Amino acid sequence: MIDSILLVDDEDLFHIVFDDACSLLDIALSLEGVHSADEAEEKVVGWSDEPSKKPDCIFVDLNIIGSSFDGIELIRRVNHKYGNGVVIGIISSSFNEDEIEKAKLVGAQFWIVKSDDIEPRLEEFKEDFNSYKDRTGEFKVYK
Amino acid sequence: MKITLNKEAREELQSLAKNKDVYIEGNILKLLEHSDDDFKEYINAALAKDTERRKKRLEITKQVQDKNKELEEKAKENDDLMAELKEALIIAEDAKEAALNDLDVMQKKSQFQLIGSIVSYALWVIVGTGIITTFMYAMAIYWNSTETTLIGNTWSNLFGILLTNSFSIIGTIMGVKYANNDEKQE
Repeated sequence: MIDSILLVDDEDLFHIVFDDACSLLDIALSLEGVHSADEAEEKVVGWSDEPSKKPDCIFVDLNIIGSSFDGIELIRRVNHKYGNGVVIGIISSSFNEDEIEKAKLVGAQFWIVKSDDIEPRLEEFKEDFNSYKDRTGEFKVYK
Repeated sequence: MKITLNKEAREELQSLAKNKDVYIEGNILKLLEHSDDDFKEYINAALAKDTERRKKRLEITKQVQDKNKELEEKAKENDDLMAELKEALIIAEDAKEAALNDLDVMQKKSQFQLIGSIVSYALWVIVGTGIITTFMYAMAIYWNSTETTLIGNTWSNLFGILLTNSFSIIGTIMGVKYANNDEKQE
């Protein structure tokens, strides 16, 4: 089971869905949610002072309304600017090949397609999580 | 990482569940150590209740999400319809303006046609009268009539009046045309 997850998504209802799905599937013990990429970046910056607050995995929405940059840029900053080495990927209703390629280039490890039936994808992700953690797993799209 | 509660705390929780039907909820349940059978039973009951509650909430949240999506789609459809209506209104207004312009042009055209007919008949009358009086004057001169002077004066007066009227009519037509051009330019 993953100890802690950070979800970056502007949609309140999805926070509830994700929280319940993760709990029901025994995916994570704790889940923190933020509503914008800017808020998430503040947290990422704070982890250098308090490493214990760093989550094991970050799920980022692609288009985060109310943010000054999108999910792909957030992943780029987390991986290249702050070098946090956390498991990170996209969770989005979009399934655009170009965007997926961009996400891959900035170091996203997975792409989960959001839909009404998200539980099977999360279950599959749970099985692959350890490979993402030890950096042996290849980029994967869960659709 | 497991959390072990002491006997007193475990019994307190079990009693609370038995008497008040109050259970611990959330992911903390997954971290509690349950070596004794009674507490294991408590944890299982609490987990079952928590799972049931979460399943219900997940289902309801998904329904709300679906409703929201439907509402968003309907709002979008509504916006599209409003945009179409606005476009149709603009087209209708343009058509109305064009029709009014056509009507105006038609009215002006018929007015001009009427003026043209009047002027044409007036000019024919003037020219006809001129030809007849000139012919009479010429005949009088040719036949050496005693009335030549009288007819000559009459012809001269009549011709003067006819010319004056002709210029008056032409002036009126030019004035109407000039005024009409000014209106169009405005």
